Amino acid sequence: MKVVYNWLKDFVDVTASPDELASRLALSGTNIGGVENGPHGAVIEAEVSSNRPDCLSHYGIAREVGAIYKLPLKHVSPKPAESTAKASDAVKVEIQSPDLCGRFTARVIRGVKIQPSPKWLKDKLEASGVASISNVVDVSNYVMLELGHPLHTYDYDNVRDHKIVVRRAKQNEKIRTLDGIERQVDSNICMITDGDGSSAVGIGGIMGGAETEISFSTKNVLIECAWFEPVAVRRAARFLKLHTEASTRFGRGADPEMAELASHRAAELILQLAGGELLSGVVDVYPGKRGPKKIRVTRAEILRVMGADVPDKEVEASLSALGFAPIRIDQNRGAEGSLLAAWECAQPSWRAEVEREIDLIEEIARIYGLDKFPPRLPAARQGAARLPHYEAETRLRDRLIGLGYREILTIPHVAEDRDALFRPEGVAPARLSNPLSEEANVLRSNGLVTMAAALEWNLNHGQRNARLFEIGRHYHLKGNTSVETRVLTIGTTGEAREKGLYDAAREFSFADLKGDLDSIGALAGALEWRDGGPDWLHATKRGQVLLGPNAIGAAGQLARRVADKFKFRQDVFLAELELDPLCSAIRIVKDARHYEPLPRFPAVERDFSLLLADGTHFSGVTKIVRALGIAEITSIEATDFFRGKNVPAGKYSLLVRITFQSREATLTDAQISDYSGKIIAALERNLGAQLRAQ
Amino acid sequence: MYLATMPNVENPTEKSLAALAINDPPAIEELFANEKARFDKQLAAKNPDEVNFNLMKNAWLGRKAGVLTLITENWLKPAPPSLKPAVGQSLNQLKRHIEESLEAFRVAAEKASQEGATSRDRVDLSLPGVLRPVGSHHLIRQVFQEIEDIFFSIGFSVVEGPEIETPYYNFEALNIPEFHPVRDDMDTFYIDLPKGASTPLLLRTHTSPMQIRTMEKQKPPVRVIVPGKVYRRDNPDATHSFAFHQIEGLAVDTDITFCDFTGTIEYFVKQFFGPSVKTRFRPSYFPFTEPSVEFDVSCPFCGGTGSSNGATCSKCKGAAWIELFGAGMVDPAVYGFVNYDARKVSGFAFGIGIDRLAMLKYGIDDIQVFFQNDVRFLRQFP
Repeated sequence: MKVVYNWLKDFVDVTASPDELASRLALSGTNIGGVENGPHGAVIEAEVSSNRPDCLSHYGIAREVGAIYKLPLKHVSPKPAESTAKASDAVKVEIQSPDLCGRFTARVIRGVKIQPSPKWLKDKLEASGVASISNVVDVSNYVMLELGHPLHTYDYDNVRDHKIVVRRAKQNEKIRTLDGIERQVDSNICMITDGDGSSAVGIGGIMGGAETEISFSTKNVLIECAWFEPVAVRRAARFLKLHTEASTRFGRGADPEMAELASHRAAELILQLAGGELLSGVVDVYPGKRGPKKIRVTRAEILRVMGADVPDKEVEASLSALGFAPIRIDQNRGAEGSLLAAWECAQPSWRAEVEREIDLIEEIARIYGLDKFPPRLPAARQGAARLPHYEAETRLRDRLIGLGYREILTIPHVAEDRDALFRPEGVAPARLSNPLSEEANVLRSNGLVTMAAALEWNLNHGQRNARLFEIGRHYHLKGNTSVETRVLTIGTTGEAREKGLYDAAREFSFADLKGDLDSIGALAGALEWRDGGPDWLHATKRGQVLLGPNAIGAAGQLARRVADKFKFRQDVFLAELELDPLCSAIRIVKDARHYEPLPRFPAVERDFSLLLADGTHFSGVTKIVRALGIAEITSIEATDFFRGKNVPAGKYSLLVRITFQSREATLTDAQISDYSGKIIAALERNLGAQLRAQ
Repeated sequence: MYLATMPNVENPTEKSLAALAINDPPAIEELFANEKARFDKQLAAKNPDEVNFNLMKNAWLGRKAGVLTLITENWLKPAPPSLKPAVGQSLNQLKRHIEESLEAFRVAAEKASQEGATSRDRVDLSLPGVLRPVGSHHLIRQVFQEIEDIFFSIGFSVVEGPEIETPYYNFEALNIPEFHPVRDDMDTFYIDLPKGASTPLLLRTHTSPMQIRTMEKQKPPVRVIVPGKVYRRDNPDATHSFAFHQIEGLAVDTDITFCDFTGTIEYFVKQFFGPSVKTRFRPSYFPFTEPSVEFDVSCPFCGGTGSSNGATCSKCKGAAWIELFGAGMVDPAVYGFVNYDARKVSGFAFGIGIDRLAMLKYGIDDIQVFFQNDVRFLRQFP
């Protein structure tokens, strides 16, 4: 709403500068977008909140100004000359849908001369950002900006039978509105019709019809000033996708009492600018007249909510200026500042949203000044708690960062076809019914799709080394309900080690990924790895990741087929683990930590160079060694691995280092030889392993 | 160079006192003085370096055949009881002298070795060390953490909630009925559900639904913050993203007032932006708070003056104030949805936009960088 500074002076003798006024308005609840100095003086851009339709007018803003500066508001009292002919003989109004239209007033002016508006009117409209059309149409816009109540003017002679019927729209009813567009309405919409009510001349509270529009040949004018039910208007505007100055005001709740005054004021101005003869009286059908409403406010409640007091005279001055007519009603009337003070207020017709004591307290506080309530920090009553997995998640995050991973955050809206690349079978994705684009039409069913996109972004921007992780959620539907699962997603590409002064470069490999995952897995006890995994991973470089008996995810190199879709020209590694089981395990493992006395006797290492058949896994070796039940074995490690030179085809060489240590005594050479003999025999027997050298 | 250890007829330490015909303390003193002089002469003749240090240490202090061991074995142990104290005392003095002299020699040797080192051996401090890759938290995560820590320190617990919500929690229970004008400001994504679904699902437009979910579960006192992602169907540009981050706050108790509310917010913002920042509350409107406010801080970039270096401040556009977030006292109507007695309890709620706060604090002019995850951006906030 553009507030023309000089226009305000019609209603309140404000002396503050436009900038100062704007600042005071902002601090009392009218949000200000800015102040501009134009050819018609200062214009304050007021961003009126949706609960204050009364401020969508100069009169309403002037009331605020009066309350702030304690200045009287000048009332509007039109005094147009009326002819002896009665309006009630010239026009009939019938409201068939009082639930949609609570009031309809009609006035008639005969013999007007439609012509361009005078300069003063054009200027005011221009300052308000409204185009001038003709004197009569301009008057209706002017009165709306002045008093906040929308009006509509008809060419009286085009209204059939000079009769208005307000009714609910019929199924599939159509109307051509003022903007020339034919619109289909639905049966919840209020229609203004004429004659027998069969054809529409306007959509109630939104826009008039083209048929009865004022033109330069119009002689006689019918002024409609009505009141439409706000929710119905908002619904209709949304249904029609037609938002007008009128629908904004009616939709937020216009003042039904203002309808008659605004009509009277419009008649006065039309007579002044277009001449003619105003028929006496008004046709006023008012089924929605509201009874008076009393609201009580007490000092006790002001103190309970606001935490500091407001003096009696401030309470009374602000409520009076805003039209609430406060009256002290408690026993201690006359005792200034009484804790028992209570005021009874009347709800003004322009403030339908003020219904409760809290609403009045807000009015008092905003006019008194929010800065007058001294800030203090409340005392805490109980201990505060972090999120259940906060500590586990922090440990996890810190370890990942220590391993060189950078945390990312992504938007879960992705393209359906991309999501499908990583989506497990049988998962129903959460599609959006109103996506902004096809590129973002489904919520990710996995974290991998957005991780791949983050790698894609970096590769496309010349960043070929990236090691990323995200802690986030993925989404799917289970019937009619949604499921959100917290996941850890990892994505890497490029070099594990960049070329430096002292080291050669080394590309990231599956082993790097596995090592990193095992490092974080160590926080949760240990991860188990199992062959297999989803088919978005490379068939020979992937694994399922288990925690205890449960699979919690998969890791590996991105399959070529999927990599091609992203146009990746270098290897990409991805992993995704469910976060909740991981965090639970981290918590359990952390709680179970205890001290292990350090061994007092030296450890002995023995290396076994084994020749194994392809397909025999290291885990097979450890299993057989462990099965021997030698308690002194403290670790079994693979320390070297190769194929080729001196190794027959179909075999590979594995160097296994076994560490022995006793808690009771230093192990003797004889003991170690005995253990080694047993180990070699068992490996030969069970795995067909050959010992190459020792 | 083997002088001290080679058997030598001239070397008195090979012989016992008796064989040397020493039988009174002055003679013993003289004998030790000779040894001391011999040590000093040897040491003075040597360049201070590590080899000489080890040689001298071995010759004089060596456990098996060092001079002091010989003296102990040949002079002290066989000495008659009447001379033992004198021999012992002199031996200790000699030992201390040798140890101190050798330590000084060692220090001199070390210094000489460093000074003498050629520039070829010296490290070039301008060359980088071996840098192991280090990761980083996302900036938004860091800001979340900072804000959580501030509120945690004044007794706020942290809770989380679903991002896919029902209209009841996102709107109705927050006193935003269908067709409420405020819904027009929160353009909402809806989930495409199978036909026949009774309750629509949407992406929450704010973290406020957790106000309701928290109060449903818990009786006052309530003091929680809710970090999380929220969604609005806005076309993306430099200041809009259809996904962004919020922290909701809610405090409800039997004695929470507007003063407690402003005090809490002021405490937070001074912790976050620094103690010199000024604050103000402007009346505003939200359906689920009353009184409602917009909260402003004095522009941290121009110190609340509206201009910097003589030009209009580019951050606050000369306004001197920056609008931070909306908040207010919980509207009593909301208590009706969670079976709280609005006459007995009161409280406040706020919703802080994290992305905007991070952009303000770190001078970021495009919200999209948060979601592109370019490593060059991620690296800037280790």
